[in-house]
Amino acid sequence: MLRRMSAVLPLRPLSRLPLCSGGPEALAAAVVLLGASPGAVRFFSLMHLSRTQNNIQRYFGTNSVIYNKKDEQSVPTHEISKETESQDSVKENTKKDLLNIIKGMKVELSTVNVQTTKPPNRRQLRSLEATVGRLQRAPEDAPKKRSESLSPELVAAASAVADSLPFDKQTTKSELLRQLRQHEEDSRAQKEGERPKISFSNIISDMKVAKSATARVSTRPVHQIQFDEGSDDYGGQEKTADLRKSLRKNIFKGKRLNIFDLKAITEEAPEAETAPSLWDVEFAKQLAAVNEQPFQNGFEEMIQWTKEGKLWEFPINNEAGFDDDGSEFYEHVFLDKYLEDFPKQGPIRHFMELVTCGLSKNPYLSVKQKVEHIEWFKNYFNEKRDILKDSNIHFN
Amino acid sequence: MSFLPPTLLLLSCSVSANSRAIPRPPPPPSLGDPEGRGRAFPTCCAKRAKMAAAASARWLRIRCRLCLPLKSRRADPCEQAPSCRAFIFCRFYSESAALPNVEGADVTGIEEVIIPKRKTWDKVAVLQALASTVNRDTTAAPYAFQDDPYLIPASSLESRSFLLAKKSGENAAKFIINSHPKYFQKDIAEPHIPCLMPEYFEPQIEDISEAALKERIKLRKVKASVDMFDQLLQAGTTVSLETTNSLLDLLCYYGDQEPSADYHFQQREQSEESEEATEENNEKSRKKAGPQLGVTWRAKNNAERIFALMPEKNAHSYCTMIRGMVKHRAPVQALNLYTELLNNRLRADVYTFNAVIEAKALMVNEKFEEKWNNILELLKQMVAQKVKPNLQTFNTILKCLRRFYAFGRLPALQTLREMKAIGIEPSLATYHYIIQLFYQQESSAKGSPLIIYDIMNEVMGKKFSPKDPDDDAFFQSAMRVCSSLRDLELAYQVHGLLNTGDNWKFIGPDNRRNFYYSRFFSLLCLMEQIDVTLKWYKDLIPSVFFPHSQTLIDLLQALDVANRLELIPQIWKDSKEYGHTYRSDLKEEILMLMARDQHPPELQVAFADCAADIKSTYENQDARQTVPDWPANPLNYIAVLFLRAGRTQEAWKMLELFRKHNKIPRNELLNEFMDSAKASSSPDQAMEVVKLASAFSLPICESLTRRVMADFAVSQEQKEALGNLTALTSDSDSDSDSDISEGK
Repeated sequence: MLRRMSAVLPLRPLSRLPLCSGGPEALAAAVVLLGASPGAVRFFSLMHLSRTQNNIQRYFGTNSVIYNKKDEQSVPTHEISKETESQDSVKENTKKDLLNIIKGMKVELSTVNVQTTKPPNRRQLRSLEATVGRLQRAPEDAPKKRSESLSPELVAAASAVADSLPFDKQTTKSELLRQLRQHEEDSRAQKEGERPKISFSNIISDMKVAKSATARVSTRPVHQIQFDEGSDDYGGQEKTADLRKSLRKNIFKGKRLNIFDLKAITEEAPEAETAPSLWDVEFAKQLAAVNEQPFQNGFEEMIQWTKEGKLWEFPINNEAGFDDDGSEFYEHVFLDKYLEDFPKQGPIRHFMELVTCGLSKNPYLSVKQKVEHIEWFKNYFNEKRDILKDSNIHFN
Repeated sequence: MSFLPPTLLLLSCSVSANSRAIPRPPPPPSLGDPEGRGRAFPTCCAKRAKMAAAASARWLRIRCRLCLPLKSRRADPCEQAPSCRAFIFCRFYSESAALPNVEGADVTGIEEVIIPKRKTWDKVAVLQALASTVNRDTTAAPYAFQDDPYLIPASSLESRSFLLAKKSGENAAKFIINSHPKYFQKDIAEPHIPCLMPEYFEPQIEDISEAALKERIKLRKVKASVDMFDQLLQAGTTVSLETTNSLLDLLCYYGDQEPSADYHFQQREQSEESEEATEENNEKSRKKAGPQLGVTWRAKNNAERIFALMPEKNAHSYCTMIRGMVKHRAPVQALNLYTELLNNRLRADVYTFNAVIEAKALMVNEKFEEKWNNILELLKQMVAQKVKPNLQTFNTILKCLRRFYAFGRLPALQTLREMKAIGIEPSLATYHYIIQLFYQQESSAKGSPLIIYDIMNEVMGKKFSPKDPDDDAFFQSAMRVCSSLRDLELAYQVHGLLNTGDNWKFIGPDNRRNFYYSRFFSLLCLMEQIDVTLKWYKDLIPSVFFPHSQTLIDLLQALDVANRLELIPQIWKDSKEYGHTYRSDLKEEILMLMARDQHPPELQVAFADCAADIKSTYENQDARQTVPDWPANPLNYIAVLFLRAGRTQEAWKMLELFRKHNKIPRNELLNEFMDSAKASSSPDQAMEVVKLASAFSLPICESLTRRVMADFAVSQEQKEALGNLTALTSDSDSDSDSDISEGK
């Protein structure tokens, strides 16, 4: 076994090694475990390896029991799971926030932030960053871009406001939007590098501004910082943009073909989803080859290897190559919360603790399967309730 | 054991301590356990559990006191156990000492701790961060070339063969693995690494079925797919429209030819013209680039046959046929088919329109105006059919307009404005086409030279992403224009754009990069102050590109203009390194610059060394070539340089070479030799000079004779000899010829 492992290691690129760091004892330990579990060998968590081998399993204490005995210690676990749940409800919260705010005529200080800190949506964030990047790089296009990128959010906000008010909804909405547009045009005309955020606060400056109590949850400093950076740079480059504008008149201003209509182009036509044809695939390949350059340094080469799957993925941890629908390790390990319906003491409890202990060390089952496993025992004991009663054991 | 973080030890302690509460526990882990019980606990787990561990510190202290004696009672198989235990005590002590406030604050302290959100990183985020810290090493060859020191290329030629060798090695290995997959089945990687395993290119389904056809299409087996299709038809099976369409895709894309093995790199390298290809050539090679060089559409080929056989055809069938025809240069058929498509009341997609636009432009025997009107007509049809144009539509138009020369300029600008107006952001290729149209070689002078400034103003500071296959040609053509306009400011702008964001990736393959940087550097040599130029020289060479000999000549001229000739020996060293040892034009330039003027003595010594080095290259060259040849100029220059540095011996040897190779020394050189002879007051040497001059029947002979008579104390014999020589030179050629043969 040791031979096999040492045969594996040199063939790997170097960065796979750290997993086996830890000196000779660790290697020896790994080897023993490798020998213990037949078939497919996974490195990801050595603790998990001892599923089938009881003789190894017994060397590990019943670690999970601590959390059972000490209630306050299991709190973090629950907190974590609750928090993930609460993320889902943030979206609703923001909407509710908005409603509350409008009803009490209290407006949160930075509306933009409320909008941008919807549930941590990666895609949206990226698009925001992209927008910011464009703002920095292409100031002459900025006003148009900004109205494009911000307006869906604005419209959403406005319609939420309109919904909450008892008056005619369409009117309210359009009034709000008109005010926003008006202001955007003003700020563009002034060309003083006004930040979009400021323009926002101007709009709502007539209203009473107060910090909402619930705002703490929804505003995350990270987002705010990103946004601020973007608008700062934007202000600085306005002047040069003016200069460029005057210069480029001659080529981009003038008669055009006047064949296509902007409206017709931009309107969304529902396109039938079809699998990419050979033409599409080959075109994509061509495009990919356009900016293909030799590696600039060793790290870029490692990036390539990572993408090809030849390297361990950074950051290196015990979960490499382990994917269970994104469930975290603690969901695998801390299974005590599923024992709530079992008796607090007695042989069934003891038995179930052993079961969860075993399950928590099993890397081959998904979290769902583990829960099902416990459920099965629950049903089993439920069915045998009569027998249990006879032997004076209570199961509720 | 020592690698364990203290928290882990804490936890493991608590584990064993706790297990005592259970009547029939699994035996608690003993400390010396070789399984490394602590390691079994994932490190990340330890991090998470750290707080819990800290909170239970007080409790643990009590428990541990109980548990450790218990452990020591156990039979411990490992010798290292005592030290381990001591270690644990020590670590535990420090841990609890570090956390007194937790103990004091009790449980309430825990609630204030906010667990930070877990950040999920992209798998390459760490590497990207690290990569961004590495800058280019200006003193070394690019990273891609770093290898065994013997193999690191030092010239553009070598670098090319280096890359080709590396790539073809990879390809060869891949070829062997893929053609003999059965020998490469051993999968030693754990977890499995798919990209190291052989790919299957042979169809696995043997029977005749639509699934088999699909598989062959997927594997891009053109002939096998057609055969399978025919067999299916003969068997009376109807093939679904979808599968037939994908078969048509395959046939049309490859023009009914088997695609050559998919090794892009080699293909591209071969099809690209070598250095400094003209734009037109480049264009042609590009068009043909790809696996099927020069494949043309044959009438009645399999694609057409299958298309005709199809019982029902949808828009896709027509579209793919049209695109295939245009791709393989059958514009007339493509246009006919397009009419047929319209007659069948089907709609073409935008790609097909792009292809048809190209077909219209490819039509021969039509005037530019006619073609342009046809293209406009097509665009109007697009509007009528509610087909949205894309970037490729406009790029295709501009690409075609390039061939219209001056006629294409106005339409091109209108097209560009149309693009902007409907919100399609031009790509680098768009600008590339416009630059090409406005700065074609012959008309660069009268072309509107402002276009490039407008374009640069527009694109400055933008970051581009690849959108068109021609995107990588922009920088080359922009730099070409800068160089022809002799506008350094503009060149700096272009270079600035290149270094914005990831734009540098658009510089294209090796030859384009070399072209770009040679032009840029030549412009620097021409326009920039010498110090700045030298800074660029150090920065760019050799870490970005290896200079051509012309680039170095430009640099030499810049040095000449700036009167910095003392750097020439260094430049010669560099040129040797970059593989220009045998470039006679470069060597001649170097020698000429060194020999032209008198310099301070120490510089003359350095120059003489350099000259000696260059001389040796000529001699080596002689050995390499069958017909040894010394051009006259270098001989002159080297001799002069030797004389000026006081290396008289070698200089006189050079004079021998003149005789040997039958080259005529210059008058100035002979005068300098005379000076040298006078300086050493050696009448023999002076006689030698006169002899040589007379041997070549040079007109200077007489004046030299006079100088000898006047300046040297000549003996009677020598006087006579001199008289003979002058007589000979004024005499006939035959004598001088015989004299030369004597000399030889």
